[in-house]
Order: sequence, then C-alpha cells, then structure tokens
Amino acid sequence: MSAPSTRRTVDSRGSFCPGPITDLFKAYRQASVGDVIELWATDPAAESDVRAWAARSGNKVLEVSKEKDFLKIVVEIDRKGR
Amino acid sequence: MVKRLAIVGSGTGGTFTANFLSTKLRARVRAAEVQILLVGEGFRHHFQPASLDVAFKGAHPDSESRSEMELLKPEVTYIPDPAGKVDLENRTIFTVGGDVFEYDHLIMATGAEVSPQMIPGLAEGSVNFHTGPVNATKVWDSVRSFRKGKIGVLIAGVPHKCPPSPDEALFLLDEYLRHRGVREDVELTLLTPYPKAYPADRIAKVVSPLFEEKGIKVVPFFNVDSVDPSAKKVFSLEGDEYTYDLLIAIPPHRGTRVVRESGFGDEEGWIKADRRTMMVEGHDDAFAIGDATNIPISKSGVVAHLESKVVAENIASEVEGTGRVCEYNGRINCPMEVGGRRAIFVSATYKKQPSDQSPSLVKYAMKRGFGAIYWSALSGRWEWMMDAYLGQTSEEFVKGAQQSAPQT
Repeated sequence: MSAPSTRRTVDSRGSFCPGPITDLFKAYRQASVGDVIELWATDPAAESDVRAWAARSGNKVLEVSKEKDFLKIVVEIDRKGR
Repeated sequence: MVKRLAIVGSGTGGTFTANFLSTKLRARVRAAEVQILLVGEGFRHHFQPASLDVAFKGAHPDSESRSEMELLKPEVTYIPDPAGKVDLENRTIFTVGGDVFEYDHLIMATGAEVSPQMIPGLAEGSVNFHTGPVNATKVWDSVRSFRKGKIGVLIAGVPHKCPPSPDEALFLLDEYLRHRGVREDVELTLLTPYPKAYPADRIAKVVSPLFEEKGIKVVPFFNVDSVDPSAKKVFSLEGDEYTYDLLIAIPPHRGTRVVRESGFGDEEGWIKADRRTMMVEGHDDAFAIGDATNIPISKSGVVAHLESKVVAENIASEVEGTGRVCEYNGRINCPMEVGGRRAIFVSATYKKQPSDQSPSLVKYAMKRGFGAIYWSALSGRWEWMMDAYLGQTSEEFVKGAQQSAPQT
C-alpha cells in the first residue's frame, strides 16, 4: 500500500533567485508522486522558473495566485525518478 | 569577571572573527578582562578557492595551506581540538578530545560538510574539488590524462560553496583542453538543477553566450537522483540520464556534525540565524557566520569575512558598552574566471540583485590579487582596501535611536 499523499508549504519569502526554486527542489527531493508542494515567494522570477521546471520534468502547476504580499505557487508532483 | 568570547571553527570566518576581536579588544585581553578562545579543526588552514587551481591548473595541493597558529594574533588562545557538541542553553562547548569550555558570547563558524555519500553512487562514480586539496588533485590527475570523450560537471546539491565554481570549472577545463589540443575530441556539459547556466539572470546573460561560443553544453533542471559508476551514467529526479567518461561533481552540502549533534540546526544542519545580525534564533549571546548558516546568501569566503566583521563589531560594542550596532547588508562579491585571463564578479546585496558584468583582464587581476593577499588579509591589515573596494557592507546605528543609516 502506498503512503498517502501530503501537502507541504515551502516559505521562500524574502529570498531572491535562486532561493525559491532551490527551496522547491529540496522539497521535491523529499516528496513522493501525488504530493503537493505550495511555494510562497516574493521573487517574481519564481513563477517562470517553476513553470519551466514543471514543463520540463512532467510535474503540474496547479495554481499560481497573488496573495497580499507574496506569490503562491502550488505544484503537484506527478513524476519523480526513472 | 573575565568575559569569555568563544569561536568555534577555524576557517575563513572563524580566523577573521578571532583576529578582529583581538584588534578591537586588545587592551582588555592584555588586562585579563577578556579572553578570546578559538576552538578549531586542526593545525592547517586551507585557502579553499585554490582548489580550482589545484584541480584545473595543476597547482600543488600544499601551495595554499598554512599553519593556523601563524595566522592568529597573539591575543587569541587556539585550541586545535574540534568541537563535538555545543550546549547553547548552558553556554558550554565540548571538544572531541574531551575538553569543556564555558563562554559568555559564542560565534559558530563551523562551515559546511561536503558529502558525496548523500547521493547513491556519487562517491564511487565521480571526482570533486570541494572536499579539500587532496581530492582536487584527483580531479587534476583525471583531467590531465583525459584525451577523448564526455566530461560532465554536475551540481549534485544546492546550496553549495562558491556558486560560480561549477561554471568556472568548465571555463578552466575548456581552456586547458584547448591548450593541450584535444578540445575538439571532448564534450563538456554542465548538469545543473537551475534553469540556466547560472542561477542569477544577469550572470547567466554573460555565461550563456560564452558557453555557446566555447561549445559547452548545458542540461538544465537536472536534480541528481543517483549515479551508476559501472555504467558511467547519472540519473536525475526529473527522469533524464547522462552518460559520461569523467564526472566532476559539486557534491551535496549540509551543516557540520557539531551542529547536527547539538540539535540547533535546521533539517539539513544549517544554523538558523538572522541575516543582518547573524544572531542565532532564540539566543542573543550566540552568532553564526559563513557557510554554517541557513541565511539565503552565497556560501563564500567574502560572506564569511563580512559577517565576521559585523559580529566582531557588535560583540566588541557590547563589551565596551558603546551601544553601537552593525547590521550586514548582504554584500557579496564572488569572482569567476571565464578563461583567457578574464573574469567577472557576482556582486549584489540583499536588496540589489547581481549587477551587469563584462569579463575583463582587470577583474582577473583583482581575483588573483585577492587570492595572493588572503593570508595577510586574515589579520585584518587590508580592511582599508576592502572597504574602499566593496563600499558599504553594513549599516550602523545606536541602540534605541529612532533612525538607522540608509539601507542598500
């Protein structure tokens, strides 16, 4: 039986590029297929970096929304490893 | 009562801090009012950036190493016995050799642990220049006998020391292989977790065209999963694979054992510290500097240097009761050689992203110059020149005053 999927929030606010994408990669390394990672970032470059990574790696950006003073990017892990 | 100032770690940050405190509090040390204790890793101090010269230019591994004792001012008491555990609640350091030291103020300058073993197959399947000059020599041995095939430079974990070093390694490899006349027979590739050849946009705009011009390939979004040394293949979490003849890795980093054993690091062993005062979270008598912290900034010598200056200033101010407080503004200045005796600098602050750069001979000469004066700079004697070159690196104000200096 596989482990239940989890949702994890990664707070990368205040961190410039490559901080947010680096934090996302750390969470991705620990995640399993089916997990959801919610990335909080103040660096506007985070959205394009995450979208490009998701397109390349076969993962899915579920949501990008502007909160009061940060960007919320929600990613579903659909693919990891060979 | 003697004020006991203890520094843990004898790399760039720890040595600078000890010497800065010594300069600022010399009279009080001589009057036995203050004790400066440096608990270090051993007798030798290595200039870590020189590992690039060892790995890609064949420099001798002993050429950039000195006795730690010779680098310290006489007011510093040096204990060449690494700390095994630090108890922040009871202000106590326990060394591996069994000594116990109590302190009033603590500076953790314990650096990073570089561990190829964290990725399956990486230790067996790669060489690297981030784990000391001896292993950098193994890179040189592999490179100088390499005639034909594929060399991959793999960023196997982030963050890592010296962010420009993977790109710089490729520039130096390109130059060396051209010099030997075998460049046409060698494919050079950067395997990076980042979207581009360098994580910061303005630096990527310089590096990417140069890579293209020199025929250096980039595989982006490559977060390494494992290495198969017998098949000479490296696999990514994203599902890609790369076949190599020589794999030069920047191995994963984490906080050092003393931090992990002491229980005040984050999940990777980095010390949680304020990015401006370097104060350890929840402890106003403890500070962390350099590679050891979780502060989102380059893990580099210049950061350790500038943070040590701020921490030493603030501790000296506390001892003297002046009420002056300094805050680090995140100034970084990381050099990158791009071949042909040209270099750029990755320069930024917390509020200012890296500035536009163009490679130049002057910057190359400055990079080599900074390396040449490293040993004497550790004493603090070149601070006037560093201040003139780096400009504002901290903001200063008086505790309780309404206004602080303008921030950059």
